[in-house]
Amino acid sequence: MLTDFLQLTVAGLSQGSVYALLAVGLIAVYTVRHIVNIAQGEFAMLAGIGGAWLTAAGMPLILAILVAIFSVILVAIAMERLIIARVKNLTTLFSMIVTLSVSILLQAIMLLVWGPEARGLPRFPGENLLIGGVSIRSQELWMLGALVVVGGGIMLFYEKTRWGKALRACAEQPIAARIVGISPVMASVMAFAIAGFVGAVAGVVSSPIALSLWSGGLLLGLKGFVAAILGGFSSFRAAIVGALLLGVIEAYVAGYVASGLRDGVAFLILILVLTFRTQGLVLKPTAVRV
Amino acid sequence: MKHSRMRLFAPVVIATALVLAGCSTSNLGGTSDADKSGDSGPIKIGAVLDITGVGASLGVPEQNTLQMLADQLKADGGINGRDVELIIVDDQSTEDGAAKATAKLIESDNVDLIIGASRTGPSLAMRPLAEAAEIPLISVAANAAIVDGAKWVFKTTQNDVTVLETILNDAEKKGYTKLALVRDATGFGEGIADYITQLGADRGITLVTTEAFEPSATDFTPQMTNIRSSDADAVIIWGINPAAGLAQKAYVQLGVNKPVYQSHGIANQAFFDAAGPSADGVIAAMGRLLVTEQLDADNPQRPVIEKFQADYSEAFGEQPSTFGGHAFDAWHIAVNAIEKAGTDPNALRDELEQAEFVGISGVYKMTPENHSGLTASALILAEARGGSWTLLKD
Repeated sequence: MLTDFLQLTVAGLSQGSVYALLAVGLIAVYTVRHIVNIAQGEFAMLAGIGGAWLTAAGMPLILAILVAIFSVILVAIAMERLIIARVKNLTTLFSMIVTLSVSILLQAIMLLVWGPEARGLPRFPGENLLIGGVSIRSQELWMLGALVVVGGGIMLFYEKTRWGKALRACAEQPIAARIVGISPVMASVMAFAIAGFVGAVAGVVSSPIALSLWSGGLLLGLKGFVAAILGGFSSFRAAIVGALLLGVIEAYVAGYVASGLRDGVAFLILILVLTFRTQGLVLKPTAVRV
Repeated sequence: MKHSRMRLFAPVVIATALVLAGCSTSNLGGTSDADKSGDSGPIKIGAVLDITGVGASLGVPEQNTLQMLADQLKADGGINGRDVELIIVDDQSTEDGAAKATAKLIESDNVDLIIGASRTGPSLAMRPLAEAAEIPLISVAANAAIVDGAKWVFKTTQNDVTVLETILNDAEKKGYTKLALVRDATGFGEGIADYITQLGADRGITLVTTEAFEPSATDFTPQMTNIRSSDADAVIIWGINPAAGLAQKAYVQLGVNKPVYQSHGIANQAFFDAAGPSADGVIAAMGRLLVTEQLDADNPQRPVIEKFQADYSEAFGEQPSTFGGHAFDAWHIAVNAIEKAGTDPNALRDELEQAEFVGISGVYKMTPENHSGLTASALILAEARGGSWTLLKD
């Protein structure tokens, strides 16, 4: 019994770490531009499919991953420059409509270029572990590790460094930020580059286990969105905790109740949070609220 | 607080609405101006396939196969001097997509016969439309319920019951008495647990636990954890790829260590792509396409399969999968029947009911009672070894 419980927890945490990375990407953009980027999940799929395609073409794994991540960052920047930056008076609501169209566009491109079949990267190096009957796949450790290093790194960047604080200042006081010399254009580009980067990392670390599919990004992005809501769309910490909780609850529901209910969990949580506790898991909303 | 709640609410509502709306894009055609199908003019064959969505690993090779065969037929001058027009519609692997596509083919394209769909769920959604419009339908999916008691519906894929019989016979021979089932949660996996219970009763086999997964699932830890805790002697994984391949991978990685049987739903390269080395040792019941070169030289299916493999790999640069084979058989059964009976729906239906054909998935013999036409002899057991299938019995 305990073994099963721990096994489900491991699966939930690794899945949750992918949601967490996507939530970090969403918040990274939202805190700078007040844009909810529906195409966040597509960044993950694009990196996964692109990387898988490169490795299938004979490129070494590590190089394929780097090329895939770098390309997705470029895609994210192009998205910001060519589309987002050109929309006047971009409200949060309107930003969702715009980024949803980008999401559909990216899906169509992936479908046309790589076809409708799911692709996966080869497994990253490492041994699968068996601890007390609980099997931990090495790829799951990579997923958790990516969250710690990349997600944690971005969080520290935003909260501790001058650059990160400058980015957030753009959202809170755009005019004042410009007066003190922070370029809003640069800030917006950086925010999207960061979103592309974490999205791509989430995509490549999960691809060996979950495969990447042209149409898989929207649901994945929405799970990240739910996690971001749990973080009040402002707190990285709360969103990461929320994402891990979401992953674990999904695993328990699938294991103990019914696997078909799994994808419903996120949206049930979403409704509950928005109805009863809009600040999500954030304990001190005023300190970080944007 | 009130303000921020509203600010977050509106985007959520919109996102949800768009996700739901994103699923349905096809529309019904308007009035038709084409002449009603008589015995002149081009023959129209419609196909409804899972070209995108969860069934893509089935629908794409089926689409390739039909297109290739339609081109071949065109080059050969059509059927009895009449051109054959093939209209392929993507149902996006959904039931409503399949129903809409069928309605479009019947109402605005005036097709003479329909092939599809790739999977059981969409095929079941098409059945009442074909029955009502009295248009022959040849499904390329597995569940026996698709043709059970149908007047206008036929199918080419081996019945799930026959596949289970083949698997259970082997399980009985190996002395397994307790089986666990991990099945597809959609139409393809529907009823499988009941069949195992019924068929197992004669063989001293009981089903101890059943788990289900969505074909779009990517994490199988919960299901496999429950299987690991069961006292089953062996496990049947019943699904299509990539899900079935990923389930196999999770099964091995979680150290379940029980023998695995898989269905004919996995007989393509996508299984090895998804499962990798975890595939080794899996025993699957399937048609003969993937083990052609291991067949007896005088096997009647062998020349048919070899010709198909040569044509397909020349056209698409890869070996065909079992699913392309199901489409190949459906196409030829349809074309042979139209050749003999023309396109009058009733005559065509009657002709299909006595169709006989040596195909890729088996040797067909349709009867008014059996619209599937294949028996257990269409199936072999094969074991996955190093990325290909090794024939176990024939």
